[in-house]
Amino acid sequence: MRSPAPPRRSRSGIGSGGVEFDTRVKTAIYRRVVETARAPGVAEIAAALAAPPEEIRGAYRRLFARRVLFLEGDGETIRMAPPFSGVPTQHRVRVGDRTYFANCSWDSFGIPAALHAEGEVHSRCEQTLEPIRLRVGREGPEAGPVVAHFAVPAAKWWADLVYT
Amino acid sequence: MLFFRSEESVGAWCRERGIPRRPILSLDQLWRLAVAWYDTRLTPGARRPQPDEIRRIFAGIGLQGPFWDPESDEFG
Repeated sequence: MRSPAPPRRSRSGIGSGGVEFDTRVKTAIYRRVVETARAPGVAEIAAALAAPPEEIRGAYRRLFARRVLFLEGDGETIRMAPPFSGVPTQHRVRVGDRTYFANCSWDSFGIPAALHAEGEVHSRCEQTLEPIRLRVGREGPEAGPVVAHFAVPAAKWWADLVYT
Repeated sequence: MLFFRSEESVGAWCRERGIPRRPILSLDQLWRLAVAWYDTRLTPGARRPQPDEIRRIFAGIGLQGPFWDPESDEFG
């Protein structure tokens, strides 16, 4: 009977390819997004965790496969770390002295919800292109003549997440 | 998942694109959805909800039926 193989360890000593490693990568990504209001690249997270870039790249891909991150076609650039967007969108969310981009109307509320902070959403009416500004407190948004339309059924969201 | 000033604006936007008008959420529903989905997202142990959890989250906000079912095949 063979003994179980020992866990694979990286030079950083935190292991790679496992759930624990991926959780550390995910946590580091979100920390950087919150601190800088932009999505970090592989090299940035590799430096933060003192891990080889190829191991970080592998974690990015596994997090994509688990639908935690949404990556661009190059397999390593973060397009979405929900509720945050890695690219500029029409949904900007001001929290404190930082301005984040959100992926959609839902995520524009998701940012103050995730940060447990007050914020201000700047977006637009898609039909009239009229600017929309919504203050969001700890208990929710102020009332206003604004609604959100969900055009894609839930079962189809991941198939075209950018359009959704 | 876009913002509109009114339900009439949603209708016009859909007509111009030849796409069906789908569910419209109030700001209160959108906020409750955001809290249910993202409240713990920044904690290390957070994970994406599974289909049954997703159905429960939606149902808790009054969103039910095939459109909100993450495993529905009704829409092809």
